[in-house]
Amino acid sequence: MTAPDSTSDAMHPQLMLLMELQDLRSQHRELEKDDGAAPVEKEHFHMDPAEARAQLAEKVSELEERLDPQVRARYELIKPQRDRVVVPVINGVCYGCFVSIATATVGDQDVHQELQSCENCGSFIYVVS
Amino acid sequence: MKLRKLFTADSVELNLQSETKDEVLKELIQLLGLDDKSEAILFKTLKRRENLGSTGIGKGIAIPHCRSLVVNELRLAYGRKPEGIDFQAIDEEPVHNLFLIVAPPLEVSNQYLPVLGKIAQFAKDPDIPAKLQEIDEAAEFLDLLEERAP
Repeated sequence: MTAPDSTSDAMHPQLMLLMELQDLRSQHRELEKDDGAAPVEKEHFHMDPAEARAQLAEKVSELEERLDPQVRARYELIKPQRDRVVVPVINGVCYGCFVSIATATVGDQDVHQELQSCENCGSFIYVVS
Repeated sequence: MKLRKLFTADSVELNLQSETKDEVLKELIQLLGLDDKSEAILFKTLKRRENLGSTGIGKGIAIPHCRSLVVNELRLAYGRKPEGIDFQAIDEEPVHNLFLIVAPPLEVSNQYLPVLGKIAQFAKDPDIPAKLQEIDEAAEFLDLLEERAP
């Protein structure tokens, strides 16, 4: 697995990649819904939602290829079960399953230097400060 | 939801310094007061959205927007570049007014899309771009929102 940067505020590169993937998948999902972003994007931004979805899907595949094998295996395990593979932790609560996460896990200043998961739902977690 | 309530004076910059599209996106992101890591991720997500088509909607207006894990509530910022900046807008004209909208992936109140539409409508109002150019202080921008986007 790729090592994180040595700076104290560095983020594990695989977590950064997973977050990028998550954001792209969110965009893709939102463009699929008839009452979602598609009508707004079409009306105000002249976007072709089908074309945008195709581009996003291509980028998602490309980024998935860059996941380390262990991370990819876990990602593929979570993906069919949950819309969101990475979930935010806000005020100590996992927003994947709404269960409190141990303070020892989320209270560390260097929490993002390691790839961490919620012990309850298994989602990768990102602590929102 | 009133647009006025979604902005603070701190999230308004009337003299953006950037000279390129990437720089101006970063400068707008800085108005949200996130940490460095979150800023970097948000920049990538906004860039990816721009790659799908410019959010420069014409008449000097751009509305870069996305959902991102790095925010836990709907966040907005406004920046003005009086001289204009090349944002690859659909009318190919320079952009002077930029509204940044970032929402978390999951919102209980589901405000993101309505707010995005409301900002677009406000900004496209024929006399709004000229009024935005006349503003001298952040408070005047907030007053304009109060008056024209109730």
